[in-house]
Amino acid sequence: MSIVFLPVLIAGVGVLQPAFDLATWQALLVEPQLPLALRHTFFSAIGSTLLAVVLALSTVILLYPSHWWQWLVKRLAVLLAFPHLAFAVGFGFLIAPSGFIARMLAPLFSWSSPPSWQLPQDSYALSLMVGLALKESWFLLWVLTSLLQQHSTLRALHVAQSLGYGRLQIWLQVLLPQVLPRLAWPLMAVLAYSVSVVDMALVLAPTTPPPLAVLGWQWFNDLDPKRFALGSAVSVLLLLIILGLSTLGYGLFKLYPLFNRYLSGKRWRSGLLSSSTLQKAIAINVVLIGWLALILLSIWSFANQWFYPSLLPSTWTLKGWWQLEGTLLTNTLVLGLSSSLVAVIVVISWLEAFAKNRVELWYFPLVLPAVPLVVAQYEVVIRLHSESTYLALVWAHLLWVVPYVLLVLASTYQNFDQRLMLTAQALGHSDARILFQVKLPLLWRPISAAFAVGFAVSVAQYLPTVMIGAGQISTLTTEAVVLSTGGNRRTLAVYALGQALLPWLMFLLMMGLTYWQSYKRSGLR
Amino acid sequence: MLQLNNVTITHKKSQQVLIQDLTLAIAKEEIVTLMGASGSGKSILLSWILGALSNDFEAQGNVYLNERVLNLIPINQRKIGIIFQEDTLFAHWSVGQNLAFALPANIKGRKVRRQAIEQVLEQVGLGECYERDPATLSGGQRSRVSVLRAILAQPQALLLDEPFAKLDQALRAQVRAWVFEQVRALEIPVLLVTHDVEDIPKERRVVRLKDDVR
Repeated sequence: MSIVFLPVLIAGVGVLQPAFDLATWQALLVEPQLPLALRHTFFSAIGSTLLAVVLALSTVILLYPSHWWQWLVKRLAVLLAFPHLAFAVGFGFLIAPSGFIARMLAPLFSWSSPPSWQLPQDSYALSLMVGLALKESWFLLWVLTSLLQQHSTLRALHVAQSLGYGRLQIWLQVLLPQVLPRLAWPLMAVLAYSVSVVDMALVLAPTTPPPLAVLGWQWFNDLDPKRFALGSAVSVLLLLIILGLSTLGYGLFKLYPLFNRYLSGKRWRSGLLSSSTLQKAIAINVVLIGWLALILLSIWSFANQWFYPSLLPSTWTLKGWWQLEGTLLTNTLVLGLSSSLVAVIVVISWLEAFAKNRVELWYFPLVLPAVPLVVAQYEVVIRLHSESTYLALVWAHLLWVVPYVLLVLASTYQNFDQRLMLTAQALGHSDARILFQVKLPLLWRPISAAFAVGFAVSVAQYLPTVMIGAGQISTLTTEAVVLSTGGNRRTLAVYALGQALLPWLMFLLMMGLTYWQSYKRSGLR
Repeated sequence: MLQLNNVTITHKKSQQVLIQDLTLAIAKEEIVTLMGASGSGKSILLSWILGALSNDFEAQGNVYLNERVLNLIPINQRKIGIIFQEDTLFAHWSVGQNLAFALPANIKGRKVRRQAIEQVLEQVGLGECYERDPATLSGGQRSRVSVLRAILAQPQALLLDEPFAKLDQALRAQVRAWVFEQVRALEIPVLLVTHDVEDIPKERRVVRLKDDVR
């Protein structure tokens, strides 16, 4: 763990050093791009986080634990594994002037040419805000799904219902105060991601100027040391924004109980909220945009000629797929497989060695802006003369892959029934034998899930790959970003879809292996 | 009266029949004990009566409460109270707030409501517990607060899903006697699910669910 995290922290101090010079801040404050970049960041980050929370919570309030909730939960994994960048590209295909929405509206408004709306990359970063909100709402829904399984939420809901209360009132007064504290870290991760996102912003956000994180990234890549210093200052600013907004959110959460202090016993009417038709509509809408983005990526990847306002291409081709560079696919696979395998080994070793330790500390890369961390990684790699090597790239990916693998594995691993270990020990077996023959096979399901998640996280990495790879080692992700700034739509769709297909195939493979392992052992299912 | 007519509950996926053609009537002031092996469908039946049957099951038959068909009535309008094995006190509230949540809205005013709650707490020997964190109560005290909360909502029937199972032997007899006394005072039909013959109230009716229904 230390090899993954420590060098970055040490180098990070060096990266941020220029930000401790007052002159850097004076230069930043007079920088003409700053006000608009700040506005884009605030608007997209606060807006997307709030919207994601509202979307996720209203979905839970309206659906849990109905048939439609179960229907939605089964479909969440696909949306979760949809890489941010691939989704952004598909979302762009949906909302662009010549996108699917404009094509659907064309007959209604007799449009013979694309409308003049400025989407994506609109001047208020609205596209980025909505795109981020949708993607992060699926993550929050996934977190909520696991929280609701862990705690006796269903019983509490039934008890409160038996006392005469409706769904909305129960969630606001009874369940949310219990669920929200456990949602704090995931919410902070969503906020930090929204504040510091670069790859999605390159596709969906305005470019003149871009949001603060992208601007900082551009300055860090400038050879001029003054620009590098501005990048440092922007990193500190991003960190302060995350801290400030988190503190504000925490303060609002602390005020929440005031709303609950006096219980008048009034039961609100909420009959409509239990309507099955409404639940169905909500469930379908939650997944709809994700599916549309996926379908559009698929269609574009086979489109030869697709003129506006046709709803489908007039001719189809496999050209885009034939032109897919094998090296990119190989690089993506090698990096994904290596980093997820190393991460699983590192995390299991750590959990074995420090079974009782708290794991939250290791989640810090998920709540910090990625830009300075990547620049710090680059500093380490340069010192070791190992830029553009697979080893350095795997190490760079681990900074984000390890926390996610730990997130998936930690609670199951730490809650493993110790009586099984004691039984095996009492039978006279060594600890190593018990680990490999009893514990790990029994924990195969979460381990395989953690591996698949780690793989998905690695495939989606843009900043560390483009920085450490330095153009020598490219992946589907880095190429998709390049193509998104003016490349051929078919080729872009192929790379974006390829980026999405790899994690899905890995999840399918792991599910298949789990099914095979538990085929004759129903206790493992 | 709580009445079940020809109730059949089936597990959708496996098509296993858990309850077959059960007909049962529970009069006011009556406590009927439902017994059966694990997996015989006792708790599933309670969740169906409550209106909270999981989507994994499907049910046929009717449930009536005071001659009103409940099948299509949402859980929060059925006026049926439930007490689970786990006490399900809401952890973010004090004991008093847990009870205030159950108290009907027609008892108005901050002071009046508090007095009403303090009075019932006093009656059951929990006089000083209004501001207490539920987590600091003993098992027996938590059970009593759970029962009080269900009762304060003025239900027209009560379902008890193994409410004494988690209590130790000595406490169990004491809490059991207290709960029966409380629910009898309500004069409503009560359905008690238990594994333990000791839990059966004296001279009360017992319904045994067969575990060989498939």
